[in-house]
Amino acid sequence: MAKLVVFLTLISLLPLLCNSFSDDKPSDRHILVLLDDFAIKSSHSLFFKSLQSRGFDLDFKLADDPKISLQRYGQYLYDGLILFCPTIERFGGSIDAASILDFVDSGHDLIVAADSNASDLIREIATECGVDFDEDPAALVVDHTGYAIAATEGDHTLIAADGFIKSNVLLGSKKIEAPVLFRGIGHSLNPSNSLVLKVLSASPSAYSANPKSKLTSPPSLTGSSISLVSVVQARNNARILISGSISMFSNRFFRSGVQKAGSPTKHDKSGNEQFLTELSKWVFHERGHLKAVNVRHHKVGEVEEPAIYRINDDLEYSVEIYEWSGTSWKPYVADDVQVQFYMMSPYILKTMSTDGKGHFFTSFKVPDVYGVFQFKVEYQRLGYTSLSLSKQIPVRPFRHNEYERFIPAAYPYYGAAFSMMAGFFVFTAVHLYNKPT
Amino acid sequence: MARNLAAFLVLLLSISIYEAATIYEPISDSHRTVALELFAPVNGSYASLEDTYEALSIYEILAIEKKPDVSTTACKKVLEILGSSSPPKDVFYALKVNGKLKCKVDEKVLKDIASRLKATVSDASTLLDIYHSIGSLVLIKDQTSNVDVLLADGDGAFQSIKALSQSDGRWRYSSDNPESSTYAAGLALEAFAGVISLASSEIDQSKIDTVKNDILKLFDSIEKYDDGTFYFDEKIVGGHEHQGSLSTTASVVRGLTAFSAITSEKLNLPGDKILGLAKFFLGIGIPGDAKDFFNQIESLAFLENNKIATPLILSVPETVFSLTNQDLLKVKVNTVLGSAAPPLTVKLVRGFKIGAEDSSIFESKELQYDSKRGLHVFSFLSKHVDVGSYMFVFEMVLHGTDDDKVYATGGQIHVPIYVTGIIKVGSAEIAVLDSDLGSVETQKTLDLSGNNVVSLSANHLQKLRLSFQLTMPNDRAFKPHQAFLKLRHETKVEHIFVVGNTGQKFEIILDFLGLVEKFFYLSGRYDMELTVGDAVMENSFLRPLGHVELDLPVAPEKGSRPPAPPVDPYSRYGPKEEIIHFFRAPEKRPPQNLSLVFLTLTLLPLIGFLVGLLRLGVNLKNFPSSPVNALYAALFHVGIAAVLLLYVLFWLKLDLFTTLKALGLLGAFLMFVGHRTLSYLASTSAKLKSA
Repeated sequence: MAKLVVFLTLISLLPLLCNSFSDDKPSDRHILVLLDDFAIKSSHSLFFKSLQSRGFDLDFKLADDPKISLQRYGQYLYDGLILFCPTIERFGGSIDAASILDFVDSGHDLIVAADSNASDLIREIATECGVDFDEDPAALVVDHTGYAIAATEGDHTLIAADGFIKSNVLLGSKKIEAPVLFRGIGHSLNPSNSLVLKVLSASPSAYSANPKSKLTSPPSLTGSSISLVSVVQARNNARILISGSISMFSNRFFRSGVQKAGSPTKHDKSGNEQFLTELSKWVFHERGHLKAVNVRHHKVGEVEEPAIYRINDDLEYSVEIYEWSGTSWKPYVADDVQVQFYMMSPYILKTMSTDGKGHFFTSFKVPDVYGVFQFKVEYQRLGYTSLSLSKQIPVRPFRHNEYERFIPAAYPYYGAAFSMMAGFFVFTAVHLYNKPT
Repeated sequence: MARNLAAFLVLLLSISIYEAATIYEPISDSHRTVALELFAPVNGSYASLEDTYEALSIYEILAIEKKPDVSTTACKKVLEILGSSSPPKDVFYALKVNGKLKCKVDEKVLKDIASRLKATVSDASTLLDIYHSIGSLVLIKDQTSNVDVLLADGDGAFQSIKALSQSDGRWRYSSDNPESSTYAAGLALEAFAGVISLASSEIDQSKIDTVKNDILKLFDSIEKYDDGTFYFDEKIVGGHEHQGSLSTTASVVRGLTAFSAITSEKLNLPGDKILGLAKFFLGIGIPGDAKDFFNQIESLAFLENNKIATPLILSVPETVFSLTNQDLLKVKVNTVLGSAAPPLTVKLVRGFKIGAEDSSIFESKELQYDSKRGLHVFSFLSKHVDVGSYMFVFEMVLHGTDDDKVYATGGQIHVPIYVTGIIKVGSAEIAVLDSDLGSVETQKTLDLSGNNVVSLSANHLQKLRLSFQLTMPNDRAFKPHQAFLKLRHETKVEHIFVVGNTGQKFEIILDFLGLVEKFFYLSGRYDMELTVGDAVMENSFLRPLGHVELDLPVAPEKGSRPPAPPVDPYSRYGPKEEIIHFFRAPEKRPPQNLSLVFLTLTLLPLIGFLVGLLRLGVNLKNFPSSPVNALYAALFHVGIAAVLLLYVLFWLKLDLFTTLKALGLLGAFLMFVGHRTLSYLASTSAKLKSA
């Protein structure tokens, strides 16, 4: 009996344990950090501290710890995963590449930092995410015109990168003034993967090669097609950050000043902290997570939602969209939310008006085609979670008595009929009561 | 763990190294700024006395001036702990803080504590208890001379620690715990030092010698990196309390220095191991964790003042030199904490260009000592130094006769040096050649330092030749690491070629006949871009050269397709174009006036009919005269009118069903009155005929 009570209590607590990542509060809470060595915890502490100060609960584990696991009894223990273990060949415990991909497939977030000599395991995970690291294990990204000037850095592998993606949702609304210090390996994006985005790209003069050996054949990665940091937003809104450098997360680079070669301005602080803090906000759903509520439609002048529309009806459609700010839902401000009236293909695609408080509305005339339509909002914007709303609604043709009745062109016919009828009436009387004289 | 750490250190070191040579920087001001952040008290106090002690020691070791004042709150805590009977660990840290802050602790309290601790020492079974008790007694001894802290049974205490030692120089935490630990060995060594200083009678020299043996055995298990870094690591993971390699090494260093300070004889440890340990702590950089930071700095402070060998760190603040600036090569020699080194000479044993190891440029040069700045300087940028990357090998030569025994210099130190300069780019030419004859079709000279661009055209039977020269300031040939020619088609398909060289001349000939396949048979405009760059080339450039119009043959059926262009994220995620539904156009209708004209035309026959009737002189004289029949006839015609009116109503608003219903009623009514009326009319006409 006692056992049963305990069991029931545990069962009833289960949902509480699992609801940390919910639709109401989309930011992650529990994050597993897998390290090559605990020294990274201290050498990269500024990055971790910025996460902890934003309320994340970080669980640091060695990547080859035999006790680590991502899930227990089919429930995931964490909402996010940070892999700061570029050299790991095999994870400890039950984690492997497939389980990490399952973790992402179930909507959880991932940060992967690689480095030169990145292991095949890390490369495999990156490849599955649509990112191909340079296969040469000794290759580094070298840039002879965009390097960071430093008294003790002579080989131009310390890059001052400023090829940021233009997106406020990914990098925050504040412009990143200082270049980002980067030392590591470059990657290219798989062209067939449309979900992966280059967030920080190398300059056109960069290339990926072993700086110590002479180049005989052209390097596989050159120019601004080299991506230094990329993000993926999966279709289930799981977010992934892949960086070719683990040292860009380090305290050393966070604190270091930066001066890009050829530029007279010397920044006291590199852009790394701002760049990575903002990007981590995005990855852990503190920004760019949208929800749509109160989808409504009705005929103009009415309030109730009808079960069916007739062709040529005028209707109004409205939806409220909110963005998660990390702590609360704020009205989403944009002017490019579009609604489609859709049957096999969109019959109407219209940009909605907004009141700036998250309320989007529009009105249009139902097309003169009947069938089963859908109101569709397919909102996919760079960096935002995609909104996909659809509501089915049938559209019927005119009823027999809804057609136009008094067509002027038909007046001669009406006139003929009614004059005939009048004539008939007169004729009946005349015919019956005429008395020939 | 060890493998991971090795991997990590490789990674960490790769931040600051180029080749095997690692330059370690002694502790500097950047450490001090971070220390102020890490050891800032929260609301005027620290979480525990251990943290307080760590913060206070860091401020002391790094000689930070503006340290926060925490003495009042900390002293209150110290007195609280010392006043109550707290466990030895708390007492230990309370006394440590007391040592720093000089709180006014009553001697009677200390006396009580001393007697209690002595009792703990004699019957303690775990290493930590002994360690904390002995440590506390030593601290009491340092803080006041009026309390008797001497151990009556020094040998016994010594023995109880020694009993936990293992054959490999490591220690166990307690007698019933079989796991041995390197971290514990450090604690044990410190406890030994305490026992020796506390013993009322001299400890037997042979016992001390066995401990020295243990130390040597412990150093046999030291871990090593290729660059001469040494550290200790815990072998067992997940044991009693997991310690990282930093805290393990720090513990051993603490124990080792404490033990070597107390014994009269010098420990027979090689200086390079001490230097290796120092390198390990320096190689960590600036830890972001307070505990790690404390371990690093405290250990370095111990290493700086140890009796075995003081490590000296040679650092080169600048390793990139420009031929145009003629900077001096500066070398700094410091102790690990950044204080000045003893008088010594830095010797440049040899300097050679990387790639030409056999021929040295410099050999056995002594660096000038600039006593004002405390730097060893050397003006090496002379005529026979080229642009390039070099490896300089330094050595420290100590002046004092016995300094070799006191200091550890670590022998030869390799430092990579980059000498950069402006590379002259000249005689650039671009030409289109006819394939078979090699005759020049069009040739254009380029000024690669300017902005002029060329526009060329060629077909698949021709060749494109690009040539230029790179010379170093001393007119020797220069080979950059990066010399790429990039051809970019309008469709963003890129082709990269490495420009090879013979001597000073760089030349690439693109034979389009052999390249058509590679170019995916894409004719059209190709933009050309030349990138020349090297780590030591100050004027590395990326320059558009113009474009070439290529006329290539049409692709065969089975030719390879060009790769799909990358998706542009901005256009992919932009809003879509609006779609407006075009409604079916209403049928064309005649103008309304025309309909009205025809409406009047349709009314004309009715009018004609009525006029005709009047002209014929119709009358209604046959209308029944009897009231009943007149009523029926009237009702009959009203009925007909009603039916006709119903038709009008049907047209105006009624639907078919209402109309039919009404028509049914009216029909029955009409039948009745019609029959009466018509039969009456029939009978009257029959009467007329018969009459």
